[in-house]
Amino acid sequence: MRRLFVSGATALAARGGTLRAIPSGFCHGLLLILLVAAYASAQHTPGAKFDLNEPLVLTGEVTQIDWANPYVHILMKVPGEPLPALWAVEVDGAIILGDRGWSAESLPFGETIRVEGFAALDGSNQISGNSVIMTSTSGSVYAGTNGTPPARPVASGPTPRWPDGRPRLGPPPGETGYWGNPSRPAMVEDGVNVEMDAYGLLNDIADAGRIAPMQPWAQGVYELRQRMFLRTDPMFLSCKPPGGPRQYQQIYGVQFVEQPDFDRVFVLVGGGNRNRRVIYTDGRDHVGQIGGNDDNPLFYGHGVATWEGDTFVVDMRRFNEDFWFDNGGLPHTEQLQMTERFTRVDMRTLRYEVTINDPWTYTRPWTSTWTLEWIPGQEMPYFLCQDNRP
Amino acid sequence: MTIRSMNTMFAKTAAVLLALVLTTGSSLAAQQGGADDEEAEPAAPTPRWPDGKPIMGSVPGQGVGGWGAGVTTLPRDQELDDIPFQPWARAVYDIRQIDQFEPHTRCKASGASRQFSTPYGTEFVDIPELERLYIMDNGGPNSYRIVFLDGRSFPEDIVPTNYGYSIGHWEGDTLVVETRGLNEKFWIDTRGTPHTEQLKFIERLTRLDMNTMQYQATIDDSGAYTRPWTTIDFNLRWRPGAELFEYICQQANQGPELMLGSQEDVDNTRFFVP
Repeated sequence: MRRLFVSGATALAARGGTLRAIPSGFCHGLLLILLVAAYASAQHTPGAKFDLNEPLVLTGEVTQIDWANPYVHILMKVPGEPLPALWAVEVDGAIILGDRGWSAESLPFGETIRVEGFAALDGSNQISGNSVIMTSTSGSVYAGTNGTPPARPVASGPTPRWPDGRPRLGPPPGETGYWGNPSRPAMVEDGVNVEMDAYGLLNDIADAGRIAPMQPWAQGVYELRQRMFLRTDPMFLSCKPPGGPRQYQQIYGVQFVEQPDFDRVFVLVGGGNRNRRVIYTDGRDHVGQIGGNDDNPLFYGHGVATWEGDTFVVDMRRFNEDFWFDNGGLPHTEQLQMTERFTRVDMRTLRYEVTINDPWTYTRPWTSTWTLEWIPGQEMPYFLCQDNRP
Repeated sequence: MTIRSMNTMFAKTAAVLLALVLTTGSSLAAQQGGADDEEAEPAAPTPRWPDGKPIMGSVPGQGVGGWGAGVTTLPRDQELDDIPFQPWARAVYDIRQIDQFEPHTRCKASGASRQFSTPYGTEFVDIPELERLYIMDNGGPNSYRIVFLDGRSFPEDIVPTNYGYSIGHWEGDTLVVETRGLNEKFWIDTRGTPHTEQLKFIERLTRLDMNTMQYQATIDDSGAYTRPWTTIDFNLRWRPGAELFEYICQQANQGPELMLGSQEDVDNTRFFVP
């Protein structure tokens, strides 16, 4: 997680005028990096919900804390005429803040806080909590760590294996853990170097054409999604699942449960709404989907897999178009087929290599590779996209 | 022939063969006595692991299967006055009979016994090596609950969640699962039986035979009831060959505004557009 929270917000507050001068379509360079640093990666890039041209400073009295994921909200009463106004301050999610030692009780009701951030795009009384200062103590809340953060466990050792010698995708017997810390926030064709934020938002929109061999229409869609700060993402708007490679880009992780007795591997998805899906290793073909969905294109597709040496090779097909298959908003169609190659290099590292083959969207098949890190001894955090919705 | 029907046939054949082998003597006696004529094929006995513990889910070598929907409501109408509701909880229960605006209808993950009441049932995925049982649901959130079977105790501070923290232990052939750390963002059954975060939800699961899982729940919630109370027994039915499939509640939900929170009738403590 980034730790530039306070300094970034201070810099922004000092540059209110500069911010207004930024073209409304897109931000470039350092300022954007500072903005992004204000949040840890939880669900949406700040520009998806807040107007980054409208910095705002508010002082009010805390009336309630809505301790939830993806974002915690502080409710505060801001003095006004003829009546005070109720504002919601959006800060990081409950899992992230909890890991850093914060709790709902860290900010008592009745405290006065000074909030620096940005106004909501939709004009509602919401502000991003880039900086939240308790005026009684001048201390910052829900930023950085509160006390000593727990030591971060690191896995070591060789690839764990089944008795027959195949690598284990999950934990060794009697242990637990999950895959987290994806090394890429979004897909980029291997060999291409571009800078993007933790949500897959490009630092420079001019890089759009380099991400993947997109057909012209697809690049248009991708650029539009990027220029809108990814705010049309179906996962952000209505908690649609992160299907395809995107399930391996989620900050709350992903887990495998292997069941050799039944020739299948469960994938437990830590993002979205904590869905579970199945990869079949029983040699079946892509004949329909079992159990009543025979012809339905699916969010998670239909996956059959084989082992090639130490690599688990998954053939994925039959996707619908109701979701983004990548954090950064790369498009796909129902023609999408993917080959995923999972290689557990050692206990700690899972290499994920995906080849995208969607002739309606891309001019040729292309490949993107990243790694996931084994988080030992911990259960995957309980995250639900719909947690803070009614 | 589809894989599904092949699996179904295989599982059925295997079950019938097993039943024949094991019950030839007793079925002969039953025929002579004229009993049990409602069930054309007597169910196979409870499947077991090598150590003798019942297998709660699919049996290795017989293909996968699942449990059909069973528990739809914890209190029965005729028993309502016997349920030790606190007054507020009875009032909430009564209101929910009129305003059946259940969180599950807005795709909220709904734990406890509610997990067994979606039309598509559940699958119990038993992983002895990891000393845990996953209860995977098909409908609703398409998610899962973990039941730890490794003898652990409850952590000091459980962050309440929709599925809570479940620990199981065996009492003879009955798996007793206690769940704590349930939040209040869902209903524990389709009728809206109220609960609070103080709930200790105790389930007793007994696989009576291959095809029958007996289910009983005890609601121990001093926040909503004056004393713990226990439901009658329900049965879940085995569905051989029933594989898990993708069901995404959010796909065609016709109430997106409810999920987004613009509906003013809904719990107004959470009105944030995400």
